[in-house]
Amino acid sequence: MSIDWRKQLRSNERRTYAVISIFIAIYAFVGLIIDLYIHPGLDQLPIVQALEILLTFTVIPIATLALSTIAAISILITYALYDRIMLLGTEYHEITLNNHRSLEEQQLYNVIEELKIAAGLHYMPKVYLIEADYMNAFASGYSEKSALVAITHGLLNKLERSELQAVIAHELSHIRHHDIKLTLMASVLSNIMLIALDIMFRTIIFGSRSRRRSDNNNGGIAIIIILLRFLLPIITVLLTLYLSRKREFMADAGAVELMRDNAPLAKALIKINDDHMTNKEAYAIVYNATPHEEVRSGAYIFDPKQMGISMNQSISSIFSTHPSLADRLQALGFKYKNTSK
Amino acid sequence: MSIVTIFIIAIAVVALWSIMIYNKLIHLIEATNNNKNQIDVQLDRRYKVYESLIEVVKKYMDYEQTTLKEVVALRAQAQKASASGNQSERVSAEEAISKIGASLNLVFEQYPDLKADKNALQLQEEIVNTENKLTFAKQSYNDSVEKYKAKSKSLFESFLVGVFPDKLMKEFPYWGVSDEQRKTQEDYTVKM
Repeated sequence: MSIDWRKQLRSNERRTYAVISIFIAIYAFVGLIIDLYIHPGLDQLPIVQALEILLTFTVIPIATLALSTIAAISILITYALYDRIMLLGTEYHEITLNNHRSLEEQQLYNVIEELKIAAGLHYMPKVYLIEADYMNAFASGYSEKSALVAITHGLLNKLERSELQAVIAHELSHIRHHDIKLTLMASVLSNIMLIALDIMFRTIIFGSRSRRRSDNNNGGIAIIIILLRFLLPIITVLLTLYLSRKREFMADAGAVELMRDNAPLAKALIKINDDHMTNKEAYAIVYNATPHEEVRSGAYIFDPKQMGISMNQSISSIFSTHPSLADRLQALGFKYKNTSK
Repeated sequence: MSIVTIFIIAIAVVALWSIMIYNKLIHLIEATNNNKNQIDVQLDRRYKVYESLIEVVKKYMDYEQTTLKEVVALRAQAQKASASGNQSERVSAEEAISKIGASLNLVFEQYPDLKADKNALQLQEEIVNTENKLTFAKQSYNDSVEKYKAKSKSLFESFLVGVFPDKLMKEFPYWGVSDEQRKTQEDYTVKM
């Protein structure tokens, strides 16, 4: 049994740097375009000459500097608040060694502790339980030390111990392969402006309603926000292209390596898939009612988009970042028979 | 390029390669040592868990009195073997404790009162947790032994091991069941 996850780890490191660089580059590029228009006289010059004037700081490129700073701050925010951003919009609580409310929660903590030993991780990840009925799980963080594992209540309730073990083994493999770092950067950086916009948008709507003011100024801002709401997902598409579907296969393989058994993971995946199929309508409502769900979709063990549950109608929904269940089961050595159709 | 330069470059390449292999092997040896310690940590933990566990179960049945003595005796045996460096004897003593753990879980199944008891359920989870941790620690250890052995016995690498036997040649036994134990387990049949 040999899966070369160290190679995957190195490729993830490279891709993370690429994602961060592209992110800064996009912002700087947009800033540069704005600069070409806001400085009087520059738009009359040939483009090469105008760029030269801006890049040699003959005229200070304010917009470029401002947007680059925003990009840098976004990255810092991602590092500082990654756990809260990844759990944003959900109702959750942390489970620790001495703080568990039921036997099941204790079992979850125990299972993670066991597999931490199996995976040879040096740090115990933080454990969060999301209060939701759908079955899903994800891992995040920018290093092994900062890692977190989040499980929904539905998953904890509906899986047996061995299946839960398999799901946790899958998540800990993501931590071990440094997938979490890349997924975190790609999903948070591509969405951070959208999140900021959403928060601004809400304050403007609710703010103007409560104050009952009708000035034109707010209308202008609203149009810009709506425009950005459609343009920003392009960044999402660009950055999530770096999330290869291979990472899910690798994590599945890693889970089998830790469990020495392929059946529990296959059973768990089928259960999660079937559960989403039976409760499709109900879950679609819950997923859509949960704000900022798109931040997590790349990190989830099961991508709800595959069930046709779209996330807030953004164009990034077209691209699933996960391989299909049939492909995953085949890689695990099982043949998937779709019985429901 | 003169022959001397080529010769020097060749020596430099071989030296660099040796250093890399040397470091890699040292790394594998230390990883194995670490995993071995992890097993000790888990064994120690298990002993404590079982002690407190049997204290609780004792209230329900006197059968456990003998089991407690047995666990203590096996533990002493394992510690003695560990101190004298007798790995295989130690392994068999610890495996015997594992079996008691499994039989304790069976006891739970037989007593409906016990099964309904919330504390007992918690303890049952504790047994599963403890045994799993131990199993995974053994698994990690055996994996690291495998990696070390495969590397140190490979062609070319084994030459380097021959040059530095003190530093690079380590005898790590796989953690497994002994031959007699395997025999009894193979012959085992369920008696109803």
